[in-house]
Amino acid sequence: MDHVNEKIREYIVTTWLSGDARGFDDESDLQESGILDSFSTMALVAFLDETFRVHLGAVDVAATTFKSVTTIARLVREKTAHAA
Amino acid sequence: MTRLERLVSPWATRTPNHPAIEGDETLTYGELDALANRFARAFIANDIRPGDRIGIHLPRSGRGVAAMLGALRAGAVYVPLDPGSPPVRVQLIARDCGLRHVVISPPLLAGWLAQGVHEPVEHFFLSAEGPAPALPSIARAHQWSEIQGTDGSPVPSPGAGSDDLAYILYTSGSTGVPKGVMLSHRNALAFVDWAAEAIHLSQADRVASVAPFHFDLSVFDIWASLSRGSTVVIVDEATVISGQRMLDRIHAGRISTWYSVPSALLLMLENGCLAERGAPSLRTVFFAGEVFPVKHLVRAMGAIPNARFFNLFGPTETNVCTAYEVVSPPKPGESAIPIGRASCGDVLSILDAEGAPVGDGETGELHVDGPTVMLGYWNGGRRTAARRPYPTGDLVSRRLDGELMYHGRRDHQVKIHGFRIELGEVESALLCHPAVREAIAIASDQKLATVIVPSDGALSVLDVKRWCAARLPRYMVPSDVRLVPDLPRTSSGKIDRVRVRTAVVSGDISLLRSAQTAGT
Repeated sequence: MDHVNEKIREYIVTTWLSGDARGFDDESDLQESGILDSFSTMALVAFLDETFRVHLGAVDVAATTFKSVTTIARLVREKTAHAA
Repeated sequence: MTRLERLVSPWATRTPNHPAIEGDETLTYGELDALANRFARAFIANDIRPGDRIGIHLPRSGRGVAAMLGALRAGAVYVPLDPGSPPVRVQLIARDCGLRHVVISPPLLAGWLAQGVHEPVEHFFLSAEGPAPALPSIARAHQWSEIQGTDGSPVPSPGAGSDDLAYILYTSGSTGVPKGVMLSHRNALAFVDWAAEAIHLSQADRVASVAPFHFDLSVFDIWASLSRGSTVVIVDEATVISGQRMLDRIHAGRISTWYSVPSALLLMLENGCLAERGAPSLRTVFFAGEVFPVKHLVRAMGAIPNARFFNLFGPTETNVCTAYEVVSPPKPGESAIPIGRASCGDVLSILDAEGAPVGDGETGELHVDGPTVMLGYWNGGRRTAARRPYPTGDLVSRRLDGELMYHGRRDHQVKIHGFRIELGEVESALLCHPAVREAIAIASDQKLATVIVPSDGALSVLDVKRWCAARLPRYMVPSDVRLVPDLPRTSSGKIDRVRVRTAVVSGDISLLRSAQTAGT
């Protein structure tokens, strides 16, 4: 669902880009752009848990899954599909 | 023992099969000792002269420790380089202290080469098998197999004294260039011996390595452990970001001794279920680098009731100069715990702005003299000797019971999650951006914020973050970036830092009118 991407994008733009979405899209590299570090990653995991009820284990949080809005949304969809 | 490189050999003779370092690979004392000799011989065969600096640029590992030992045995000085820093910053350090030799992992070398700059390095020693890198003609790469094939028998001692420079730790520099803190064998051993004795560290202990090697906390993990024949258990970078993984590692690794910033313990409380799972193997918890909020310290002590907790304090320049054992959990209403009293043989004084001692309860700047005070700075290619007693820049007061309390910094140095940051270095990186006219960096509530006046309206928050991430270590990339049309000024025309700070801390950025165009 597109609203998964949208919610994640909105959260990132509000929380770490001061609401300034210019230049940011679903493929933007969250590591290379300095948005995600260990502490913002933990906050994002908590957000995903609250918003989508997905419980991410240590193995889910990796550089490949937390690369962009697209890869995170994919992970969320996989997790919710498993739970359903 | 008077020099770091001599700590290991006695254990290699006595208990050669005891694990010295456990990580992806385990090295016994015998293996570590021999590998250190191989590195030393490889360095000597490749034009290392006494006092030369050798860069160590690889993830925390037994091979990294062996390379440090090898550097010292070759009569050289080791410089740990941050594997998480952008190559540009690492190369700034390499040029600053003239690194002609660097021990490096193949992926990190690929990062250097992608930047196209490698001066002044002449010899890269690869820490693992990898494809032969395409190097410019003046530099040589030495494959891992070359190190392995080198003779591992004892090398003649470089035979120098304990006041020789042993290693340089680069920290954030206020002028925008990282600054090298020069530490001697004596500096390290004064702390290492004090700490090992305070907790009766022994061969049975399993000591976590959590802090990066370029941070002073790691001096305990590595050298205290090796001095007592204990085992270093590497808690790798991927583990340190997750409270759950860290606690798993403590349990599985039967870790007895832990030294980290409070943030790491907090992460285990919040995401690792520390309160429920406990950590029964831990008998000592050292913490340092930032204030441990009392309410969280109480929870941590409740979760690990059998461990002794110590608050250690000191800038990199003095290693650790005060210590406080938290004998019982702070009582409700206690807002902060002390940083304690002088440790490691240091002598402390608290002085006012005129250099006169302050009275009990009054705040002044902490000055330190004694065996842990650094030799000086290595900066801009020059060495400067440390002032003694060394003015730390930390504001403290002495309670009536003699314990010191910490009250912050007198300059623009801040700590965020234990990482030491000079706001000037962040501002300097921001000001290099062609579209940034003015920039102020501020630390607030464990977050780094910046307020920027762009000279080009096209500059976005994302542009600013990308720019910083390519130049600064991740912990120095501001998490909160604000673009405004102008900054408040004082009557003398300088930027009014206090008003900028108030606006950022209160979250009411309208105090600084937003420069972002509507509809973005």
